[in-house]
Amino acid sequence: MEQSKKDVKRNVSIFALIHVATYLPAVWILNHRLIGQPVSIIIAFVPIITFSVFIFKLIRCFSVMDEVKQRVHLEAVVIGFSLTTMLIMILFLLSLCDISKPGWFGYANLVVFCWLFYFVGWFISKKKYGI
Amino acid sequence: MKNTLKVERAKKDWTQEDLAGKIGISRQSVNSIETGKFIPSTVLALKMAKVFGTNVELIFQLETQD
Repeated sequence: MEQSKKDVKRNVSIFALIHVATYLPAVWILNHRLIGQPVSIIIAFVPIITFSVFIFKLIRCFSVMDEVKQRVHLEAVVIGFSLTTMLIMILFLLSLCDISKPGWFGYANLVVFCWLFYFVGWFISKKKYGI
Repeated sequence: MKNTLKVERAKKDWTQEDLAGKIGISRQSVNSIETGKFIPSTVLALKMAKVFGTNVELIFQLETQD
C-alpha cells in the first residue's frame, strides 16, 4: 500500500518533468518561428497533451493521499483559483482603462502566476493544518 | 472538538509515527488531528477507535462551543 502511494507520487513527479521538458522547448521553437504554421500548431499541442497526462496523474495522486493532505491541496486549489480569477479580473478592468503591461501579464506570465498562487495557497493551508 | 489521542497513544506507548502506520495516514496528519487543527472524518475516527480498542466518543468529545 505504502509502496503503491510512493509509485503514484513518483509518477506525478516524472510527468511534471516530462511536461516541463516539452513545454520549454515548444516555447523556444514557437518563439523563434523556426518552422511553418501547420507544424507549429502540432508542436503547440504537444505540451498540452503532456500537461493533461500530468493532471490525470495528479488527480490519481490526490485519491491516495490521506484526508488531511487532500484538504490542504483542496484549499490550495481554492486559494489559487480565487487569486488567479482576481488577477484576471483586475487585468481586464485595467485594460478597459487602457492600462496594460503585456510584458508582465501576458498569457505565459499568467500560467506562472496561476502556479505561484496555487503554491501560495498550499503554503497557507499547510501552516493552517500544521503539516 | 477535543480529543484524547495523546493520552491514548501514551497508554499504548505509541509514537505518532506508530499510530500513523496503523491507520494509514502520515505522521504530520496525526499531529494535525491530535492538536485539533483538523477534525477527522467518521471513517478515520472509527479506525482510530478500533486500533486503540475503544469507542469514538472516548477519543473525540464535543466542546460547549461546538
